[in-house]
Amino acid sequence: MSLYPRRESLPIPPKDAKVQNTVCQYCTVGCGYVVYTWPVGRSGGPRPEENAFGVDLTGPQPTLTGLSYTESMHSVIQQANGQYLNVAIVPAADSPINPRRDHSSRGGANALTTYASFRPTRERLKMPLLRVGNALVPISWDEAIAVLAGVIKGVSDRFGPDALCARATDHGGGGGGFENNYAIGKLFFTGLGMKNVSIHNRPAYNSEVWGSRDRGVHELHYTAEDARLCDTLVLWGANSYETASVFYTEHMLPNFRGATQEEKKKVFATGEPIEPSRMIVVDPRKTASVTIPQSIDSERVLHLRPNLGTDVVLANAVARIIWERGYADRSMIEQRSDPSTFADYQAKSLAMGTTLERVLTEAEQVTGVPRVDIEKAAEWMARPKSGTHRRRTLVIYEKGMIWNYRNYDTIAALVQMAVLGGNIGREGTGCGRQGGHQEGYVRPAYPGTRPPPNVDKLLIEGQGKFYWVIGTNPYLTTPRAQQFRERIHQRTSTLTRALAGAAPAERIEKLLSALSSSSGLFMVVSDLYLTETARDAHLVLPAAGWGEMNLTSINCNSRLLRLYERFMDPPGQARPDWEILAQTARSLEAAYQKEGKVEQAQRFSGFTWKTEEEVFLAGAREFPDNVVDETGAESLPCETYKGVDYALLRSLGQRGIQTPVRKDPLTGTLVGTTRRYGRRFGTEDGRFKWYGTDPWRGYPPEVSKYFQGGKEAQYPFWLTTGRNQHIWQTGYHDQHIAQKMATVPLPYVELHPEDATRLGVKTGELVEVFNEEGSSTFQVRVTDAPKPGLIFAIQYHPRGTANHLTSPYTDAKTTIPWYKGTRVAVRKASNAPGPIAPTSPLEANDYP
Amino acid sequence: SALAHLSEQPYPVMKIARVSELETGKPLSFSYPDEAALSYLVKLGRPALGGVGRDKDIVAFSRLCTHMGCPVGFRDGRFVCPCHFSQFDPAVNGQCYQGLATEYLPQIRLRLDEAGDIFAEGIDGLIWGRVENPR
Repeated sequence: MSLYPRRESLPIPPKDAKVQNTVCQYCTVGCGYVVYTWPVGRSGGPRPEENAFGVDLTGPQPTLTGLSYTESMHSVIQQANGQYLNVAIVPAADSPINPRRDHSSRGGANALTTYASFRPTRERLKMPLLRVGNALVPISWDEAIAVLAGVIKGVSDRFGPDALCARATDHGGGGGGFENNYAIGKLFFTGLGMKNVSIHNRPAYNSEVWGSRDRGVHELHYTAEDARLCDTLVLWGANSYETASVFYTEHMLPNFRGATQEEKKKVFATGEPIEPSRMIVVDPRKTASVTIPQSIDSERVLHLRPNLGTDVVLANAVARIIWERGYADRSMIEQRSDPSTFADYQAKSLAMGTTLERVLTEAEQVTGVPRVDIEKAAEWMARPKSGTHRRRTLVIYEKGMIWNYRNYDTIAALVQMAVLGGNIGREGTGCGRQGGHQEGYVRPAYPGTRPPPNVDKLLIEGQGKFYWVIGTNPYLTTPRAQQFRERIHQRTSTLTRALAGAAPAERIEKLLSALSSSSGLFMVVSDLYLTETARDAHLVLPAAGWGEMNLTSINCNSRLLRLYERFMDPPGQARPDWEILAQTARSLEAAYQKEGKVEQAQRFSGFTWKTEEEVFLAGAREFPDNVVDETGAESLPCETYKGVDYALLRSLGQRGIQTPVRKDPLTGTLVGTTRRYGRRFGTEDGRFKWYGTDPWRGYPPEVSKYFQGGKEAQYPFWLTTGRNQHIWQTGYHDQHIAQKMATVPLPYVELHPEDATRLGVKTGELVEVFNEEGSSTFQVRVTDAPKPGLIFAIQYHPRGTANHLTSPYTDAKTTIPWYKGTRVAVRKASNAPGPIAPTSPLEANDYP
Repeated sequence: SALAHLSEQPYPVMKIARVSELETGKPLSFSYPDEAALSYLVKLGRPALGGVGRDKDIVAFSRLCTHMGCPVGFRDGRFVCPCHFSQFDPAVNGQCYQGLATEYLPQIRLRLDEAGDIFAEGIDGLIWGRVENPR
């Protein structure tokens, strides 16, 4: 018996199998992988000279150091010409990111995500679809582009560019990359002048880390090595074991276990103490990222569990202790920061006008973190080591912070706390993002304002006529998704009804006139699969995915730029995003030329690319001059890759090159950047800019309403959300992978045993979680990971989303929502559903 | 080891233990199908998918973590990998409910005969580090 089809042998790639380099399509870590393809029916031999692995397969592989080639790392794929190929996608042996061929449960299944007509990935979109009547019918690409460009042009001409709205990916890794991102930016910003654009899960076009960037600190400035060298690792709102697994197991844990001491000896000053690292985890939940190191040595683990949304108060309190105790780095403040801004920081963030006693009393009260732990955190982060050597602390933060209440101030408070303690620019230090996905951002400047408009809000209010969703699924991922979805469904349905009976030749004109006379919305979705959002679209465009085009991206822990090689054809007529965008642009250019509108046509020029590399090279021109020395490189945009081409990346393979890349003025060679801000910060004068955060005034009205008028009792729980190791984003691929759906068959909530008892529910049963924003159904997991009164929900899952419950609050400074905190009620919905969900009842944070 | 091949079986049939030797929660080490294929036989004390015995709670699995091949330990009713902390549920088909492994632990098919002898007679899933399960 097996919960998913198992295998007992795998084909061996023969000596002449095609070998290509790639990087995992999934998370921020960016593990290196090698792809082997060879015709079905052929097999290599087990001796090293008989197979493309060059590995002796005559006996078992050695533990930890051997080749990992597991059942999910092999598939059969189908090329456009009908040829069947074996594909083996195994962890690379020579990657600095995943040494020893480490890999996660996500990357281990890369091969299963490839398209074949005889596997579950058969569900991939293969042709453009147009909604006619209420059915999505296949049409040609020519017709699809004609309708798309016709509607865009009509809406822009009649209603202006602000009636054009979009929600588009801007990430790296699978489906993203510099190539697709550049094409999107060039069409939307340069071509169409659109400002009503939002980014994958978010309602606006913003940075989640303006609070850091405005200080002169780009969030990606450390390198994976710093996790191996630090004295103290701080994971603040980051559950790295589950969400950046290999970064945790290959770089963070070895340091905690004392296995990197030799590396420290090479870097540390003479006489500087060398010890295994300490770990501070700031997370309301007791995740495996806490319990794993606790199971090794609990004395070196500090777990702070702040009340939701109060991290800004906690970070400022830690900083105040660093200041009061004399742990602050005076030379950093005096020589490397802007002294004119420090007083504001001291007054507002450090609250120097208030006694330390009162600051800590209030911090304890607001955050719920015991004062003694706040003090211990400050010591572990900044108290100099013996012999006055400065401590080396690396602070890594993620969605617990950026999707928090008061995004801007929270991030600013954290980075300032780190800089105050001198923890930036040296080996083993830094204060940056862990990242969720990889990056690969190059675009012309966004033409909108800051803070940017909330595109969700304006669509809900009935503004906008055209909405293009690219590589994202807002029906699951946007805040308050249930209401958003209902409204978009209503507006798109209005337009569908208006189209009834239109003759094909009249379609575009009829669409435009219906848009004039109604609140209808024309929606386009480009994606790999027919997503929940796509079910309401008028036009659905099949996109090519990872492995089906060449793409380039950087990972977050090292800014390592590598080439992800194309190893197979896209299914059917699917095309890469950049090509779809370019075709649309050329169609718009031709239409304006035909009308003699030369200036307007000109905006769409330059979309003549024939290859991905041409797009990559065109994007490079957006970066400033990078012929600079090491000091000059501190001011370069994080992702600068000017001068790099595919040939260089091919020759570098898994070694890649760390951005920003500069061209050395003396030697003319391209040089990567290991770690940033050792010389200056990324501001005009190179000095760090301090900033005074706003005082704590409680929760915003969108959430504090749940504490008034009897609603405290009606909605007695806090809800927070996060990821599960096995499910990537919305599970667009995972829903087709049998073992993942057997492990996580339904969206789930974690409930503390006390709350479970009070509610009368057990592990495996179903509950409905609801509030005034919406409702969602989850399977229960009883665990002590959340505190009593706090519920944790997986953020999205193919069978549901926790974002039905998020409040409409956004930070006034950034338009970033607070995804991670709201109030809810819970009711039992059903007994355990039985055989559809044979998932383990064991607790995932329990390491006995 | 005493391998008793049956002509119709693709895998060897091997007697592992007598049911009376098993103590709940105390795993018994054995190798199957070959010497290098470290395995555990365990009586869980809770019903398990594929379990044999009166309480359907006796199961056996490959001990090699399907992530990178470290032998898993058995603690508090679950298998835990000491290298990267993957955890597997022996009652649910060796499901990796936490951790970095993509595959469940390969489950060894068991048969309990009337005399109380437990036999291994096959394995579902590829043992880590092999391109083919040994026969």
